[in-house]
Amino acid sequence: MLTRALPCRTVLGATALLAALACLPPTVVSHRSGLMDYLYPKNKTAPAPNPSGARLQLPLRVGIAFVPTPGGSGQNALLPAGSEKPLLDILKDTFKDKPWVKEIRVIPSTYLTPQGGFDNLDQVRSLYGVNVVALVSVDQIQYTNPKWYSIAYLSIVGAYVLPGDANDTRTLIDAAVFDVPTRTFLLRAPGQSNVKGSSTAINVHARLREDSAKGLELAMKDLAGNLEKEVEGFKADVATGGREEVDVATKEGVSLHDLPPDPSAPNRRGGTFGGAEALLGLVLAASAVIRRKRA
Amino acid sequence: MNPWVLARGAVSQPWRLWTCHALHFGWKHALFNLIALLVPFALLRPRAWPGLAAALLVLAPLLSLALLPGLGEAQYRGASGLACAAWALTGVQLARDRTSRLEGALLLGGLGLKVLLETFGGTSVLPSEPGWLSLPAAHQWGMALGLAFSPILAWLPGRTKDLPRG
Repeated sequence: MLTRALPCRTVLGATALLAALACLPPTVVSHRSGLMDYLYPKNKTAPAPNPSGARLQLPLRVGIAFVPTPGGSGQNALLPAGSEKPLLDILKDTFKDKPWVKEIRVIPSTYLTPQGGFDNLDQVRSLYGVNVVALVSVDQIQYTNPKWYSIAYLSIVGAYVLPGDANDTRTLIDAAVFDVPTRTFLLRAPGQSNVKGSSTAINVHARLREDSAKGLELAMKDLAGNLEKEVEGFKADVATGGREEVDVATKEGVSLHDLPPDPSAPNRRGGTFGGAEALLGLVLAASAVIRRKRA
Repeated sequence: MNPWVLARGAVSQPWRLWTCHALHFGWKHALFNLIALLVPFALLRPRAWPGLAAALLVLAPLLSLALLPGLGEAQYRGASGLACAAWALTGVQLARDRTSRLEGALLLGGLGLKVLLETFGGTSVLPSEPGWLSLPAAHQWGMALGLAFSPILAWLPGRTKDLPRG
């Protein structure tokens, strides 16, 4: 009796295990650094806009930093030690040659206190001697789904050789630029990426770390492109009076509000006589009149 | 969009065909165009002024209609197209008269040189003010319309033989 029941129990047990593995929920790992938590830790409501507005003097000294996360260090850190600078350098390299930029300083997030608010940001701004600060916040979620053949992990060997876990890393990076002394929000831009892959059960954590780093790099590159477009839009908005609370002064001290629109703008055409042409016409008319009067 | 400038849709707002020539991108733009527009009047007898003014009133919408297809999303403003038409009209009339042939030739020559430089040099004799781009087509069309309409001016009030001042 016992010898007959054993195969039946084995089959039932294996089936139940397979079913259990198949129904396993995906493992989700989430990392998030909140801009609002950092800047307005005590505020329940949105802060009122600064009535005095901001006046930016070109060229700008710009600071860029990741928003610090509470308890975000050691094993739980979204950005491992040493990875911040290469990521922020992507932004720096995109903007360092722009005529409106004098200098871009990378500020380590360790200089920022979690929930430090504008007071903390102002200290760092003074320390680095920058006019405006771009705060980069990150939201990254990693899903790990066991594939159907992850049952082979039970064989122990399978956990080493079969890539039975499907990994999905979604990264959203947001950069918000502030004029710190006046606490005026200037502009923002997003960057995103989605990295997919698979790994063995033994290698899953290492693979997720690789995907995380790759996702951050791709999202940062996306952010750099988007930020470039947003800056152009911001300049146009300021020049056309769309951002009344913000003024930008050129190197010569002339406000963008007072400058005529971009001469390369293709939508303004005018028929014109140059001053010299008009003057020549006047001379012609005057000489003709004088000559006839003499005649 | 300014309701007086020439832009897409101006046909359904026909006043734009006239008003765009009176609008400018700044006082310098307006001043030089006004001077250029007054030069032909200064070269003509006062009795010929109504004829020239009437011709320009007729030419203004025609010039606008000629410019409209090439404008795309852009807007146009400025009196220089009309000034070119006035220079061409007056130049031809003056050149017909022996006593004013030199003025006529200089007026037409100056206009021709301007249009040639803009057409083949890609720019005005003097660059336009920042904030907008010069539209050489306005001057080309203005000159062409002026030359085409010069025979009509001959029998408008202040006929050809009366035109030259003196």
